[in-house]
Amino acid sequence: MMLAAAPQVVIPNFGGNPHSCVRENHTICWGWLRDNWSGTLWPALRDHVELTLIAIGIGFAIALALALLAHRHDRVEHPVSIVTGIIYTIPSLALFQVLVGIRAFGLSRTSVEIALVGYTLLILFRNTLLGLRGVPSEVVEAARGMGLTRRQILWKVEMPLALPAIVAGLRIATVTIISLATIAAFIIDQGLGAPIRDALNNGLFKTELYAAAALAVALAILADLVLLALQHALTPWDRRDR
Amino acid sequence: MKTRTWLFCLGALLAAALAASGAIALGANHAQPGAGKPAVTIGSKNFPEEVILGQLYAQALKAKGFKVNLKSNIGSSEIVDKALTSGQLDMYPEYTGTILSELAHQTKTPHNAIDAYNKAKKFEESRGFTLLNKTPFFDSDAIGVLKSYARKNNLKSIPDLKKLGKKFKLTALPEFKTRFTGMVGLKQVYGVVPTFIPLGTTELVYTAIDSGKVNGGDVFTTDAQLASGKYTVLKDPKFIFGFQNVAPVVSKKVLKAEGAGFARTLNAVSAKLTLPAIQAMNKAVVLDKQNPAKVAATFLKANNLG
Amino acid sequence: MTATVFEFIGHNTGLLFQLALFQLGVSAEALAISAAIALPLGVWLGHRHRGGVLAVNVSNVGRAIPSLALIAVLIPTLGVGRTSLLVGLVVLAVPVILTNAYVAVEGVDRDVVDAANGMGMRPREVLLKAEIPLALPLIFAGLRTAAVYVVATATIGVLVGTAGTLGDVIYNQASYRLEGVVAAAIYVAGLALVVDVAFAGLQRLATPRGLRSTTDYSRLENVALGATQQ
Repeated sequence: MMLAAAPQVVIPNFGGNPHSCVRENHTICWGWLRDNWSGTLWPALRDHVELTLIAIGIGFAIALALALLAHRHDRVEHPVSIVTGIIYTIPSLALFQVLVGIRAFGLSRTSVEIALVGYTLLILFRNTLLGLRGVPSEVVEAARGMGLTRRQILWKVEMPLALPAIVAGLRIATVTIISLATIAAFIIDQGLGAPIRDALNNGLFKTELYAAAALAVALAILADLVLLALQHALTPWDRRDR
Repeated sequence: MKTRTWLFCLGALLAAALAASGAIALGANHAQPGAGKPAVTIGSKNFPEEVILGQLYAQALKAKGFKVNLKSNIGSSEIVDKALTSGQLDMYPEYTGTILSELAHQTKTPHNAIDAYNKAKKFEESRGFTLLNKTPFFDSDAIGVLKSYARKNNLKSIPDLKKLGKKFKLTALPEFKTRFTGMVGLKQVYGVVPTFIPLGTTELVYTAIDSGKVNGGDVFTTDAQLASGKYTVLKDPKFIFGFQNVAPVVSKKVLKAEGAGFARTLNAVSAKLTLPAIQAMNKAVVLDKQNPAKVAATFLKANNLG
Repeated sequence: MTATVFEFIGHNTGLLFQLALFQLGVSAEALAISAAIALPLGVWLGHRHRGGVLAVNVSNVGRAIPSLALIAVLIPTLGVGRTSLLVGLVVLAVPVILTNAYVAVEGVDRDVVDAANGMGMRPREVLLKAEIPLALPLIFAGLRTAAVYVVATATIGVLVGTAGTLGDVIYNQASYRLEGVVAAAIYVAGLALVVDVAFAGLQRLATPRGLRSTTDYSRLENVALGATQQ
C-alpha cells in the first residue's frame, strides 16, 4: 500500500552468490565452508565449547555437593530429585523471559548458563549419588578400621569407587548440554545454535545445517572419549583381564 | 614599505581564513546528530528480515555519529518485548499488526494500514514508548500453495478454499491455530476450515509444501522464496491477516535523550524500504546466503544513508 | 503472576489434562521403543565387555544434534507427524539408557562373576542371576532419567505436526500468554514427577530382596542367600 510518494529508492545489485553449489543448495559446499569457517563456524564452535564447559563445571559442582549431602542424610534425596526433575521440564523460552527481565542477568551468558546448569542437575545428581551409594560398605568399614577420617574415606575411598557411575553421568550430561546449549542463540547469538538457526531460516541451507550438526556430534564424541580417558586414568585398579 | 604591509595583511587574512575554515571543518564534525549523545541499544528478532532491518537502522545511525550496540537475532517476540520493557533494549523494529495482536491482544482487524499504525502507536505510547514512521512495505501472513496445486483446484483467493473443506491440509506455526490472524479468522470471516498441521519454523512450512505432505502453508508476503514463481499466494480480500508495516519502537525517554537527529535518521531509512527493496535484500540473505550486515551496508550506501 | 497461573489452570483443567494424557501416551511409546533397542544392546555389550564405547558414541551422534536440527533433517524424509516425533524422542532416550546399562553391567565386580562361574553357572545364568541384579540400580537410573527426558521433550510434537501434547500451549504463548505456558509447564513437571515415582517403584519391585535397600555392587553372599543388608 503506497501512501505518500515514495522517494527515489535505489536497489543495488547485491551480487548473488559466487558458488552455484550454494545457490542450488547441494548437500555439502566446500567453498562455502572454506569461506565461512573462521567468521562463522569456528567462533560458534568455540563459544559452544565454552558454554558447555562452564555449564558442566558449575552443574557438577552443585550436583556433587547435593549428592554428598544426600549421601550423608538420606531424606535429602527425594526433594532434590523432584526439584531437579522439575527444573529440567521448564521450557527454555519461558525461563528466558523471566531471566531476561532481571537486569542483573538480562541478554547475557549468565542467563544462558543459569538455564543450562539447571538442566544438568537431574542426571548429574542422580548418577553421582548412585555411584556413592554403590561403594561396598565393608570397604568403608575397612577404611574406618584403618583409622581414616571421614573426609579421607570420602575422597580416597568412596569417590574413586563411585567414579564409573559418576563419569557415566558426566558423559550423558555433557552430550545433553552440547545439544541444549543451542538455546544460547536465542538471546546472545553465540554457540552452534546460531548457524543452525541461520541454516533453518535461509531456505534450509544444507551445508550450514550439516556442518553445524556435524560439529556438535564431533564435539560430543570427543568429550565422551576425553571423559572416558579421564576415568581410566583415575581408576588404575580397574583393569580388566579379558 | 607599503607592499610589504600589503603582503603582510594578505598573509594574515589568508592565515585567518585558513584557520577559520579549519575551525568550521572541525566544528562540522561536532555538528553530526549523534555526537555526544548517549549510546543506544538496538535489538532485532531472529529471522532474516528483522536482522536486515536491525542492521539498516544501526548502520545508518552509526554513519551519523551515534554510538550503537546492536543485539541481533533475539528469539521470540516475547523475549524482545521483555528486554525492551526492562530497559535492556532502547529500540527495535516491530510490525504494527503484531503489536496489536500479540502485545495489545486486540482481536478486531484494523480498517487499513494507517489505522493499524495509529492503533499500535497508541498502545505503545500508553506504556512509555512510541512508534517512529512506518515503512512503505508490509509483511503480512498469507496462504501460499504450489502453483500447480492452485491451478488444479482453481484457487486464486482464500474464499476458494471453502470448497476443499478439510481436504486442504494447511501448515503453520502452532499459534496460527488459535489466533484471529489464523484459523480463527479463516473460519469466522471466510467459513474456511482446513485440516491444521502445526510446524516449528516458517522454513519448514516451505519444505512441507514442497514435499506435497501438506497442501498449503502460512507464508509471509516478503519471503524470498515467493519470488521463485513456484508458489501462488492466495488473495485475502477481507484482510484477516491484517496490516504489517514495520516501525521502530523506541522508548520516549531515549527518543528525547538522543535528539531530533535520531528520529530523522531512522525515518529516512524507513522511507526507502519499499516492497521491492526489502524483497531484494531478503533474497540476497536467504537465497544467496549473503551476510545481512553487508547487504544492509550496500543498500544504505546506494541510497546515501550509509 | 502465580494467581493468574492458577486461574488459568482452573479454567482449563480439562484441556490441560487431556493434553497431559496424550503426552504420557506418546512418551510411553517412545520409551518402550528406546528401551527395546538400548537395554538388550547395552546389557549384552557390558556382559561381553566389548564394543560399549563405540555403541555409546554411535548413540551420542543422534543425541548431540539439537532437536530442531534433527527435525529439519527428518521431516523431508519422514514427513510431518507422529513418526518424526517418535524418532526424535527415541534418539534422545537411547543414549541415556544405553550408556547406563552398558556401564552397569560392565562394571559388575569381576569377583562376583568369577564366583558365579565357580558355582557352576552357565554364562547366561551368570548374566541373569548375578550381573543383571547387581546392575539393576544403574540400569533403572538410566530408564528413569530417560523417561523424564522423553516426557519433558515430547512437547516438541507440535513442532513436527503432532498436536495433542502440552506443547500445543507451551509453543503458543501468543494465544495462551505466559500464564498458560507456565501452567502447561507445571503439568509437564507433574508428568515428570509421576513418571519418576513410577520408575522408582518399578526399580524397587525389580530389585532382588537381598539388594533392596542398598546399591552395593559386590555382595555375592546376598545374591546367593537372599539376605537383607544395610
